Amino acid sequence: MSSTADKSKARPQQPQESSGWFTIPAPLARLFKKFPLLTYPPNELPARSPDIRNVPTLYVFISDEDALKGLPSFNPSCLKWQVSTAYLETGRGLVHRTNPTSQTFLKLAGVDFCLRSSNNHASPTGALPFLLPPSTPSDPKSQRPIPSNKLEQYGLDNGKSKLPESLGARIEAYESLIDHRIRNAWLYTLYLSPTNTKLLSNLYIVPATSSRPVRATILYQLKHAAELEILKSTSRDAINPADLYKGAKDAFRALETVLGDGEWFFGSPLPGLFDATVFSYTHLILHDGLAWENRRLNDILEEFPRLVSHRNRIFQRCWGSGE
Amino acid sequence: MSFQLHVWGPAFGLDSIDAECLAAIAAFRHIFHHYDWSLIASNDTSLSPDRTLPALFHDDTWISGYMNIISYAIHHNTSYAGSLADNDLTPQQEADLLAYSSLLSTRGSGLVALSLYASPNAWVELTRPAYSALLPFPLTWTIPITMRAAAIEKAESLGIGYLAAEAEADEAASKSGLETTSTGFLRLRQQLGPKKSMQPEQTAAIRFKQLADDFFATLDDLRGSKKYLLGTSSPSSLDFLTYGYLALMNVQTPFPILAQSLRCRPLIQFLRMIETEPQSYVLPRQESKPRGLPGTIYVFADGAIESIAGAGESWRRWRHGGIKSDEGEEIQDSSQTPVAVGSAVLGLVVVGAAIFLRGLSPFGASTHRFAVPKEETGLYRFGEVGAMLDILPIFE
Repeated sequence: MSSTADKSKARPQQPQESSGWFTIPAPLARLFKKFPLLTYPPNELPARSPDIRNVPTLYVFISDEDALKGLPSFNPSCLKWQVSTAYLETGRGLVHRTNPTSQTFLKLAGVDFCLRSSNNHASPTGALPFLLPPSTPSDPKSQRPIPSNKLEQYGLDNGKSKLPESLGARIEAYESLIDHRIRNAWLYTLYLSPTNTKLLSNLYIVPATSSRPVRATILYQLKHAAELEILKSTSRDAINPADLYKGAKDAFRALETVLGDGEWFFGSPLPGLFDATVFSYTHLILHDGLAWENRRLNDILEEFPRLVSHRNRIFQRCWGSGE
Repeated sequence: MSFQLHVWGPAFGLDSIDAECLAAIAAFRHIFHHYDWSLIASNDTSLSPDRTLPALFHDDTWISGYMNIISYAIHHNTSYAGSLADNDLTPQQEADLLAYSSLLSTRGSGLVALSLYASPNAWVELTRPAYSALLPFPLTWTIPITMRAAAIEKAESLGIGYLAAEAEADEAASKSGLETTSTGFLRLRQQLGPKKSMQPEQTAAIRFKQLADDFFATLDDLRGSKKYLLGTSSPSSLDFLTYGYLALMNVQTPFPILAQSLRCRPLIQFLRMIETEPQSYVLPRQESKPRGLPGTIYVFADGAIESIAGAGESWRRWRHGGIKSDEGEEIQDSSQTPVAVGSAVLGLVVVGAAIFLRGLSPFGASTHRFAVPKEETGLYRFGEVGAMLDILPIFE
C-alpha cells in the first residue's frame, strides 16, 4: 500500500525530470555525487624551485640559453614587459648593462630580475609573460604571480622610478595602431605565412615536444588561433595579406611622424612603456637572429629610418653594444 | 556612372544600424550632390566580395570598409558638393587621423558591441527587433545571432569581454520571472545580496563606465576647443567616423551607461553639431533588389550550417576562404576541405547518436519487453516432452 502511495507521489515529477535533453541519468548522478572520493594535500613544490625568491622572476617565451644570457624574448608582448620591467625596476630608466658572465640575472641598478623560459601552460592566466614577485614563505600575498595586465600597476607600486606621467590621451590612440594594425601583420608574417613556418616551429614548437603528431597538432592550433585573432580584429571573413601589410605600413608611417625628430615618443625625456611596445615589434622584425623567410614586414620597416634608429637606441640601452 | 552605397538599414531613429554605415552616409551626403550617388539599404553582406557593409559599387568594382570607400570616393569624384579635409592634412594630422580611426574601430566598436549587442536587455528590447525589421523572415533566425556572436567576440578581443561574459552568464537568471519548485510552490527570488538582485548590466556598470569615460576623454582631448577633431576648417573623414560611433553610443538602451557618460562630455556638442548641420537634400534612397526566395533560402541554409557547433567554423572557412593567397606565396589549402567535410559528417553523427540515445529507455530503468505470445502448435502443447518428440515427423 505504502509503495503505491510512493509511486503516485513520484509520478508528477517524472515528466519534468526526463523532459530535458541533457538530464543526467539517475545512477550516474548518484555516482558523481560521491566525488571527490579523496582530496590529496597540495603537492610539494618541485625541488628545483627556490624556496625563498628574493628577486622577481619574469617568465617569458625564450630559449633556455638566451634566458641565461638575458637576451631579448622572441614574443612581442613578452619583450615589451622584459624591456619595461627592466625600466620599472630601476631608478634610471632603461639604463643598464647585461653582464654576460654573471649570467642568469639581468644586473640592473641595484635590483635584479631573473628571466625564465616558460610556456602558456605554466601561466595562471594562460598567457605569458607573468612575474613572480620576491616572496617569503610567511607572506601568502607575495606568492601570487602577477599576470601581464597587472604588471604596469606592479611596476608603479614597486618600481623605484615612476613612469613618465601620462603623456596625454593620444598615446591610447597610437597604442590601438600597434595593437591592431601592426600586430595583425606580425601575426600573419610569423604564424600564417607559409614560408615562415620553419621559423615558427623552431621558436614555439620544437622546444615543446619531440613527438611528430603532437608537433603537427600544435602547429595547426597555433596557426588557427592566429587566424582567428586576425579575423576578430579586422572583422572580416577572410584574411587579405595585402591589406594587412598596407595597414602596417600606414601605421609605421604614422608612428614615424609622431616620433618626429624626438629621441623618444611624445617628447618624453625618458623612454616609457609606449617606446617599449614599439620596440618589441620593431626589434623582432629587424632582428637578424630570427631567420625570416618572408621579409615583407622587414622591407616595410626599413623604409622608416627614424623607427629603425629608435629601435637601435633602446637596444643599445638595454643590451649594450648592439648585435 | 553613379556611386551606389550599400549599407545596413535604418534603426533606432538613425539612418543605419551600423556605425561605419552611418559614417559613410554622412560623409557621402557631405561630399556629393544628390544626383551623384544612391543609397541602398541592401542589408546583404554577400553582395561584396569582402562580405562586409558598407560597400560601394562603382564602375563594376566593389570597395568595402569605411576608410577604403572614402579614399576611393575622393579620388574618383569630379564634382564636389562640399570639401573633405582629407587631401590637405599635415603629416601630423594624417598620423592622428589614422590613429584615432583605429581607436574608433577597435575600442569604439567594442563599446558599442557591449552596449547594444552583449547586454542582454538591450539585445532583447532594441537590437534584435531592429534586425528583425531589416531582414526577411527566415534570416532573422540566423544573421542577428551571428552578428551578436561576432560583437561579443570583438568585445572580448579588446580585453573587456568579461563584462559580456558576466552579462551572458546572468542572462538566464535575469530573465526568469516566476519559477516553481519541483513541488509546485513558487520559488522565492534569492535575495542574498545586492549583486544577486542586480541586472547584469548593473554589475558591470562601474567598469564599463570607466572604459567609456576613458574613451570619451581621449576624443575630447583631441578636439579641445576646435570645431572639428583635427582642427581643420572643413570636416575630415575622421569627423564622420566619430559621428557614426557617437550616434550609436547615444542610443537610449535599457541601461544607458554609454549615453549617460557621453552626455556629461563636451563631445556631445560635437555630435549635436554634426547632427544639426543643415542638410541640403533628402538622402537619395533606392529600393534594394529583393533577394528572391532561392537567395534567401541559400543564405539561411548557409547561416544554419555555420551555427552547428563544431562543424560551423570549418564550414565557414571552407566557404569563404580563410586566407586570400598573397602574391608570390602559395597557400596550401588542401587540408581544409577534408576537415570541413569531416566535421560536417561528425556533426551529423553526433546529432544522429543523440537522437538514437533519446530513443533508448532511461539508463538504469528496468526494461519491460512486450511480445505477442507465440502460438503453440503441434507437440509443443505438451511442454518439454512434446518439444523432444517434435523432431519426429510422424505426428504432424
